[in-house]
Amino acid sequence: MDLSLCDREPIHIVGSVQPHGFLFALDLPDLTIVQASANAPTTASVGERLEDGFPELAATAKRYLEGAADSDGALYLRTVTLGSGSTRQAYEVAAHRLDDLLVLEMEEAEDASVEAGLDALNPQLRAFVQRLHAAASVEDLCHLLAKDVRHITGFDRALVYRFDRDWHGTVLAEDGNGVLPSYLDLRFPASDIPAQARELYRRNRLRIIPDAAYAPVPIRPATTPAGKPLDLSQSVLRSVSPVHVEYMRNMGTMASMSISILVDGALWGLVSCHNQNPKRVPLQARNACDFLTQIFALQLAAKVRGEHAEQRIALGAVQSRLLGFMAEEDSFVDGLLNHPEDVLALVNASGAAVVTADRCRLLGATPTEREVRAIHDWLTARGAGEEVFSTEALAETFPPSAAFADRASGVLAVSVSKRFASHIIWFRPEVVRTVKWGGNPVKAAQPDPEGGPDRLHPRKSFEVWKETLKGRALPWSVPEIEAAKDLRASVLGIVLKRAEELAAMSEELQRSNKELEAFSYSVSHDLRAPFRHIVGYSNLLKNREGANLSEKGRHYVETIIEAALSAGTLVDNLLSFSQMGRHALNKNTGEMGALVEEVRRKVERDVAPGRTVRWEIGALGRVYADPFMLRLVIENLLSNALKYSRDRPEAVIEVGRLPPQDGEAVFYVRDNGVGFDMAYVDKLFGVFQRLHRVEDFEGTGIGLANVRRIVERHGGRAWAEGTLGKGATFTFTLPLREEAQ
Amino acid sequence: MAALKPILLVEDNPNDIELTLAALESSQLANQIVICRDGAEALDFIYRRGPHENRQLQDPAVVLLDLKLPKVDGLEVLEKVKGDPTTRGIPVVMLTSSREEMDVVRSYNLGVNAFVVKPVAFDEFFAAIKEIGVFWALLNEPPPHRGGWPSNG
Repeated sequence: MDLSLCDREPIHIVGSVQPHGFLFALDLPDLTIVQASANAPTTASVGERLEDGFPELAATAKRYLEGAADSDGALYLRTVTLGSGSTRQAYEVAAHRLDDLLVLEMEEAEDASVEAGLDALNPQLRAFVQRLHAAASVEDLCHLLAKDVRHITGFDRALVYRFDRDWHGTVLAEDGNGVLPSYLDLRFPASDIPAQARELYRRNRLRIIPDAAYAPVPIRPATTPAGKPLDLSQSVLRSVSPVHVEYMRNMGTMASMSISILVDGALWGLVSCHNQNPKRVPLQARNACDFLTQIFALQLAAKVRGEHAEQRIALGAVQSRLLGFMAEEDSFVDGLLNHPEDVLALVNASGAAVVTADRCRLLGATPTEREVRAIHDWLTARGAGEEVFSTEALAETFPPSAAFADRASGVLAVSVSKRFASHIIWFRPEVVRTVKWGGNPVKAAQPDPEGGPDRLHPRKSFEVWKETLKGRALPWSVPEIEAAKDLRASVLGIVLKRAEELAAMSEELQRSNKELEAFSYSVSHDLRAPFRHIVGYSNLLKNREGANLSEKGRHYVETIIEAALSAGTLVDNLLSFSQMGRHALNKNTGEMGALVEEVRRKVERDVAPGRTVRWEIGALGRVYADPFMLRLVIENLLSNALKYSRDRPEAVIEVGRLPPQDGEAVFYVRDNGVGFDMAYVDKLFGVFQRLHRVEDFEGTGIGLANVRRIVERHGGRAWAEGTLGKGATFTFTLPLREEAQ
Repeated sequence: MAALKPILLVEDNPNDIELTLAALESSQLANQIVICRDGAEALDFIYRRGPHENRQLQDPAVVLLDLKLPKVDGLEVLEKVKGDPTTRGIPVVMLTSSREEMDVVRSYNLGVNAFVVKPVAFDEFFAAIKEIGVFWALLNEPPPHRGGWPSNG
């Protein structure tokens, strides 16, 4: 059995009215009667013009049509007395438009009430308004309303009933004469008033059932000329759902009236009146109650707005302080973390967390970091584009949180970056409450004894039924949620500003990189040329005029050649060092052995004749790297090895590959040369760092800096081990890639 | 026997001209050496225009082309020569002081026959100029990333 069946009952086209009045549906513009309730006087019947049977009503209707015909809802027009001979009856006439029809409803009036016009109620309304102004709280306002409505209508009991976010209702105020039991503070489940009934409450503010034992009066014919059942949404006589009548009887009341309380167009609550015995309330008095309720709603909205405004001002002060703190710090997170008391005060939370992809910082009373991460992950997964999430009962949507309900039943979260999945999350603890329900809220479907489909029956018992409400925190107020949103906006503003600054910096960096490139180019071109010329001319001088030079003169020329040559080499090395940083890596997979062999052949060309060099090259396998760059690494390492082992009778140079470590391929180049003192190992890879005197070993001191730079750009590491006089081992790693294996 | 084709040296720097001539001289090449001081003049020579309208010489055996030149620079000369079916067959060796690789890439894209970064060391420079054919094989700068990894063996 589907509970929503109740939601689908078409209560606005029920096809009948209550018997304490009659109804005409009239075709426009000539006011021909197209439908009438079965209890309408026979003076006029369907098909005839209203004017023929009821000239007075017709005149009233015409005046209405000329005037306020477009107003929403049934409008009380006037009281008329109809009848013939000795049976005369006063009727209160209400009218409303429905597409092309005019619906006129004539409700029987008691003689006494005929006199009681709005004027008679005027002092009472005036007094009510004055007391409303004086009321301090929403509860006080509600009590005033209950009291005055009961006073005007004379019902046994008047309740003011407020809906919560789940459409459960709570009785906030009550006025009664003791005939009916008190319902004050009781909760009524949402299912008592199904969704379409709530919508009807919104559209038609006032309903009355003078006698729950009434027999509904059908409307004939069943459909309008357009072929549809008559829509009775706006009707004052509309027959109510049998379920509702049953509900009333179960409740022990034979008459009821309810007035909707609308705040900003939304259904906020109801004024609900009950009487043990059948009871009629004149339309005039009902209208007065409606009027009262509307004034109440306005006052209520103003009060709520006022309270919110006060709260906003208080939170605004906290917020501007936080904004200042965040702006002072390099990271907005620090601005928050250094002022936990304001972060918590901002939304009246007892704990908070700032969670980013790699960090989770906690403030105040919170779940553990792992639990907060779980909430964060859940928030990230659920809310694409969700800026704010709030709940007072987290475990209802995120069941794992039940384990730490004492710290996080209420959660308010704002996302501060979608890209990096960051949240600021506030927590409120569980507040266990006892709720008194007006009867067990769990409805039960009952089989129909006559064999029909199962039907939902209203509950029979209105005995107080207590429930302990767990896993809930105090709800987040609108200003609190807005304060969180505002903080989010501030954070985004700050983050955005930082991003702009970064962008400006990177633009500047790009510009200076370009300049550096231009500089490198001109160094490469314009500085190399003069060195080349010095070397060239000195050589010509030495070769062609050498015989004419003194010993000293030849020495001078040779020194010039050497100096210019080393300056030129320096320029070359500097340039390649700067290229290392500027050029994009173009990595692919290749044979390390083939590369080493090629480089070995090249560097061997520079080996002095007569030297003995033994190469021991192991299995090097495949590697994933930029071959052009890697060639420079190998070239540097092999030529170094050759250079520093040149005074050995037999130079032994080993190139090998060690077993992979931590996902890296490990290569080494070992020589038996002069080695170095490990005390200086840190200087080895620095730019222009030399460990040997220049006259012992030539070189510019950039080679190893290039090696390290290239290896690091590949994501690897380079280091060296050496023993003075016994040789050195240079090791470098490159990240492994499956296909390189 | 047909006359030897000339060697066209396109170079604006007088020091480089002198050093290059010294190197060519020592190689005892019999070819005539024609010197153009900028790219525009080189194109005039190649296309027999302007002052070279009535030249009798054959097309150059090789053009030694400096990259940075006044007026029309080396890359523009290269582009013109290699983009023209009538002159595409003339070997062009780009000579440059610069070691910036973007020039190498561009030169190869334009169809240069060889690209030589003038070595600082005089011996190498001499050798390069002297044995220009051997030089291509020995010192020619390959285009970066062209082949990538060497082939096995």
